[in-house]
Amino acid sequence: MTKQTEPDARAFFVDTRFQRLARRSGGITREQAINQAQAGIEEARGGFEAWVDTELKELVDLVKSAGTDRAAPDWLDAANFRSRQLRDVGTTMGFELLSFVADSLCDLLDSIAAGAECNMDSVVCHVDALVLSRQERYRDMQPDQVPDLTKGLRRVVRHVST
Amino acid sequence: MVGPAMNLSGLVILVADPSSYMSMLIHSMLRGFGNSKVLEVRHSSAVLETLTTQKIDILITDARIPPRGGLLLTRAIRRKEDNENRTVPILVMTSDLRESTVKLARDAGANMVIAKPMSPASLYDRLAWIAFNPRQFIDTTNYFGPDRRFKIEGYPGGVGRRKGDKAVEIGAEAGPALAQNDIDSLFTAARVGQDS
Repeated sequence: MTKQTEPDARAFFVDTRFQRLARRSGGITREQAINQAQAGIEEARGGFEAWVDTELKELVDLVKSAGTDRAAPDWLDAANFRSRQLRDVGTTMGFELLSFVADSLCDLLDSIAAGAECNMDSVVCHVDALVLSRQERYRDMQPDQVPDLTKGLRRVVRHVST
Repeated sequence: MVGPAMNLSGLVILVADPSSYMSMLIHSMLRGFGNSKVLEVRHSSAVLETLTTQKIDILITDARIPPRGGLLLTRAIRRKEDNENRTVPILVMTSDLRESTVKLARDAGANMVIAKPMSPASLYDRLAWIAFNPRQFIDTTNYFGPDRRFKIEGYPGGVGRRKGDKAVEIGAEAGPALAQNDIDSLFTAARVGQDS
């Protein structure tokens, strides 16, 4: 650790163990590392669709129960968590449309959490779109292949947010 | 981004993400990069606990790790003076790509922010950037963390500037969300090539 002294700030170098070891010889090239990582993701793909189905079912149940006596008090947080998971994982696993719809739902739920009106129709419409985007016919589609759907969802989010 | 080969074998990587599936995917990517020592936690309190009991080489945390989020967690790690892991590299993952959020992560002391959803290439490049582009640490009364001075200057309010830096023209605020390249530029030290 080398130290320099400045009048109002101390600046010093830290050669962390991460940096020292990562720079060792014997590493693998970027191309090889990425190919291996991609292969690891492909291995995980086997259980992905079952996982998506479970997440979607949980989300549908949460939204169905919202506004009823049996609604979980933290349903909004839970729905937000599940939609974030679907969005983040969906793109990595190549489900672009699912990820797009989940992203739109995240924006909607964030707006509601920030004080926008809790319009359940807009939430349900997003959940329906998620279920649709999971179906075999749609799951390999890109968002720009279903412009009516994507524009409609964006319009709903804008309407609720403003 | 092309750089020298990175060697992650033997490094202890702590992944903090509330999603077990996302953690599993990150774990898969890191394994592909040659690492086999990944620890996973779901809460920021578990991060702090792990840091007190184990030597961690890098922390990869979600910006929304419960209960208080990855930015407060980063700040807590950097601010704690008696923390042995105070200078541990921290990579923050976020899907909130507004410039204000990225700046908050940077100002909390994160080494780098990576956009979610992420690809193996994106993760590899951010890790390589941290490994091969070391920055000075700065210790002031208000900040402890990697140097925040940048090539791109002129952020409103003088963010990232200190007394003695030359005056620059104030640039306009950027759009609502940043691309990963824009995020990277917010973390690129002003004096790259002179600091190492």
